[in-house]
Amino acid sequence: MAMQGGTALQEKVSRMLSRKHKKPVLKPNKPLVLKDEVANRKIKKGEATCVTEMSMMMACWKQNNFVDTLCSNEMQSFYTCVEKAQIAVKNKSEQHTIGQSGRLQPKQATILLKRYPNLHVEI
Amino acid sequence: MAASLTGLLKPWTPRVLLVRWSRYNPYYLEPEPRKEVYHIPETELTPEQKEERELKSVRPIKAATNSVTSSVFNDPVLSKFVNMMMKDGDKIIAKGIITQTLENMKRKQVEKYHKAPEGKKAEIECNPYAIFHQALENCKPVIGLASIQKGGKFYQVPIPLTDNRRRFLAMKWMITECRDNKHRRTLMYEKLSQELLAAFSKEGNVVKRKHELHKMAESNRAYAHYRWW
Repeated sequence: MAMQGGTALQEKVSRMLSRKHKKPVLKPNKPLVLKDEVANRKIKKGEATCVTEMSMMMACWKQNNFVDTLCSNEMQSFYTCVEKAQIAVKNKSEQHTIGQSGRLQPKQATILLKRYPNLHVEI
Repeated sequence: MAASLTGLLKPWTPRVLLVRWSRYNPYYLEPEPRKEVYHIPETELTPEQKEERELKSVRPIKAATNSVTSSVFNDPVLSKFVNMMMKDGDKIIAKGIITQTLENMKRKQVEKYHKAPEGKKAEIECNPYAIFHQALENCKPVIGLASIQKGGKFYQVPIPLTDNRRRFLAMKWMITECRDNKHRRTLMYEKLSQELLAAFSKEGNVVKRKHELHKMAESNRAYAHYRWW
């Protein structure tokens, strides 16, 4: 079934390249060969974390003329928020690498393709 | 003369040989140099600690570096500071400077202690290690700035820093300030002790530099949303 699909594709490509009927649809300057790698997916841009804590701390600084001892509560809450955000990022990336939901990650697909690369030299 | 010539005929091996490389299989675990961890009796271990012990009994462990000891005087923060001060791999000179700095700080504090009135004596801190750690804590910035590009222009965005980065910045500022902004004829240990004592009481140029960073971050707080992490 894969072979039939393969030959159908090759026939279509040869029809698109041919000059018999009209102008050719494809005019490739490089050979029509797939690469041994998959492009990396752009991860969604997140938002800035801990902005509220940061702004509270900065307001406290502005009030107290940047003396640190008077703002220790806000600073502590900022630190805890930052720690939580780091743990969340780690968990999210871990979850992405482990749970793919039926699909390979682009990096894993690349590794697999590199193991069985396209032959460019006749053996 | 014959003895020295025969000495030169032997193949030269260094007296201290490196056992640990820096690249290990990730399977290897880090060594635990502190003695207190091994003195906890079996009954007082938490389940995680018991699991860790069992894991360590089956997994291979990396060799400890030369700079790590199990003695009471081993301080990882101080070792990091010594390494940052070191030039051209000359650890002996760097360690000597730090020892002289600590001694100098102790002398100054003890002098202050003896000159102080009875009521104020308890407040003066004489332990140079405590002074060093407190001074470094006072120099650590809370927030840093990152150069982020948005719409063709670069903005200085306030970002939270990791603990390692904050410690590194505090040490770096301390060392550069002592190297550059002091009188030419004073020795490094004198400059360092002056600056550390000033930082301990929250004065001096390093603490000023930290405050200026905070002020810059505060003035740029509108750009905080340009961060995406």
